[in-house]
Amino acid sequence: MADCSFGITGKDFVLLASDQSAGRSIIKMKSDENKIRTLSPGLALAFGGEPGEFTSLGKRRLMGGTSNELAKRGGESDMIKRDTNNFVDYVERNLRLYQIRNNTELLPAPASAFIRKELANSIRSRSPYAVNLLLGGYDKVHSEAHLYSIDLYGTKAILPYAAQGLGIYVALSTMDKYWYPDITRDEAVELLKKCVAEVKLRLAYQFTFNAIVIDKEGVKNLPL
Amino acid sequence: MSDPFSINGGAAVAMVGKDCIAIACDTRLGSQSLGLANNFEKVFQMGKTTFLGLTGLATDVITLREDFRLKNNLYKLREEREMEPKTLANLVSTSLYERRFGPYFVSPIVAGLGKGGQPFICGFDLIGCIDFAKDFIVSGTASDQLYGTCESLYEPNLEPEDLFETISQALLNAVDRDALSGWGAVVYVVTKEKVVRRVLRTRQD
Amino acid sequence: MEALVQRLAPPPAHVDPDEYDLGADGEGNLNALGVVRGMQVPRVPDPAAFLSTYTNSMSQNPQAKIKLEHGTTTLAFRFRGGIIVSVDSRATAGSYIASGTVKKVIEINKYLLGTMAGGAADCQYWETYLGMRCRMHELRNKERISVAAASKLLANIVYEYKGQGLSMGTMICGWDKTGPAIFYVDSEGTRLKGDVFAVGSGATFAYGVLDQGYSWDLSDEDAQELGRRAIVAAGHRDAYSGNTNNLFHVREDGWEFLGNKDISELWYKYEQEKRDARVAAAAQPGSGEGAQGENPARPTTEVQSVPMEE
Repeated sequence: MADCSFGITGKDFVLLASDQSAGRSIIKMKSDENKIRTLSPGLALAFGGEPGEFTSLGKRRLMGGTSNELAKRGGESDMIKRDTNNFVDYVERNLRLYQIRNNTELLPAPASAFIRKELANSIRSRSPYAVNLLLGGYDKVHSEAHLYSIDLYGTKAILPYAAQGLGIYVALSTMDKYWYPDITRDEAVELLKKCVAEVKLRLAYQFTFNAIVIDKEGVKNLPL
Repeated sequence: MSDPFSINGGAAVAMVGKDCIAIACDTRLGSQSLGLANNFEKVFQMGKTTFLGLTGLATDVITLREDFRLKNNLYKLREEREMEPKTLANLVSTSLYERRFGPYFVSPIVAGLGKGGQPFICGFDLIGCIDFAKDFIVSGTASDQLYGTCESLYEPNLEPEDLFETISQALLNAVDRDALSGWGAVVYVVTKEKVVRRVLRTRQD
Repeated sequence: MEALVQRLAPPPAHVDPDEYDLGADGEGNLNALGVVRGMQVPRVPDPAAFLSTYTNSMSQNPQAKIKLEHGTTTLAFRFRGGIIVSVDSRATAGSYIASGTVKKVIEINKYLLGTMAGGAADCQYWETYLGMRCRMHELRNKERISVAAASKLLANIVYEYKGQGLSMGTMICGWDKTGPAIFYVDSEGTRLKGDVFAVGSGATFAYGVLDQGYSWDLSDEDAQELGRRAIVAAGHRDAYSGNTNNLFHVREDGWEFLGNKDISELWYKYEQEKRDARVAAAAQPGSGEGAQGENPARPTTEVQSVPMEE
């Protein structure tokens, strides 16, 4: 299923937007699925999976041939795409566990390290997750907005603005042109609308979007 | 194209001068043809005069950077002294060989000044074979180009400022001929007295 | 003896002997009328399969030895003042940047431009050939060929070779009796008339800037700037596009070349303009509390000295 999500940071906030489609193959079964998960009062995750065939091919190339261990276990044939929702649940519950144990939330930076490491380990396992993430958070200790783009390999990029899924191709250049440091919230929303407009204009796919804003007050829904 | 070494792109190079070394890298992080980030540095300071450069699959670059940071810090706590570049080289080698049958897809380089201030550089293949060199070491998707620029620009016993110029020109001209490298560059010049870090103005296309 | 010669002689090429009329009357593989004839085809049962094992133009075969140019960003759009054609100049072979000075706009004649994406040789050859055919049309009919007809000629030619490994994505841009017109023609046989096109590996990035800044009523300067800006955006994000930008403006009296500029230098210029605009906005009275003060340009080298302890 095709996905599309965006993240934009400003001085004291992060916007996250994601498409709401869910389905299998060429069928869209749902167009109001929420694909943004709030992990803690200052942290949220927009998530999407890779289209099935593409992932298994990429991973086979990555693992196959070079790893005897995997070949012995018959690595190629039993590569199964695990559900993205399952991974996000796992992350959410573990961050909650940390909060209960230590009576403090994990800040965005260490949370991103945890999530990245889980994916980096997963890629070398028998059934890797195929999940692409945008992690947005507000760091209350340093009063900073953070945005991380993490792909299925566990590649983490620290970015001021980012896209994931099909939005990468048509809307990243729009963000390159119109984003600037310390962008105001209103202008960030305008930029987000430009990206959504571009996606609707240029992609053959029909998307509907929902969005949130994260700041020192927490996570709020953002009407688009 | 889904060779793990050329998914993300990137280049690094180290050179020996007169009582100094220089190590440099580009800052591109890509996903095939798409440029994702221009702040992805690939050279990490492990001690006062010891540096580790990692190119290859970005997820493994991050994993190993964190792994060596941990091992380096534990070494410092246990030994109450800094790790010699030679020691780091052997640590990198054995750590990579631990994954002999499921390797990390990286080409590390190590550069630093030893206890007596003697320059040291070396490179590795993905499973830890050390390649000692007296002049320069290259790694990454622009390594073919870097061999060309280094072979023609390098000369022995350069002073720090000249070494900076040489390594910078070698790196810049190499990455300008590689589609998967560039998007910024960082150079460290290391002498016994100080470490100088410079961010280069590079092409952004 | 003759029987022996006949037996040892190589089999004939896959061409119609009547049309294989090279020599005194023709030039290269053109016959006396200037029509392409006798394109040499390898003498194997399936020439297309043979070709795909050696070039990457038909398949994504990574083992292919001949890597034809693939990365490119080209765009053209129609507006009130005519047509803007803007392209990059990078040629890659695998991830190696083989050239940064490729001419990706082919000047078919004074009124017609063709852009180049995909196989460089395919585009160059067939668009040059298209120029000959357009001139023939002019001589025969005593009037210039329409953009629609010219693009149809090209589409028909490449359609003849469909499935044999041609790789081209081109925009035929020009001014005729009906005014400015752009046709997208590719080697799959697609031919589309339209206002805004971008072709190549960086095309999606170019669209991202083009669409958000495009309007039919753009002034000439704004349109030219938009064309440049979109190529810079693509050159920045797409690894296989970049180096320099070539810009053309097509008007009623033919096309005009507006210069070759370095994409990286343009990128720094646009970033600086963005910063300057913020400083200006912050300096304006009543523009909100977030005045940023000075916002220095990026220095050539940032020097950070880390002195040693002890």
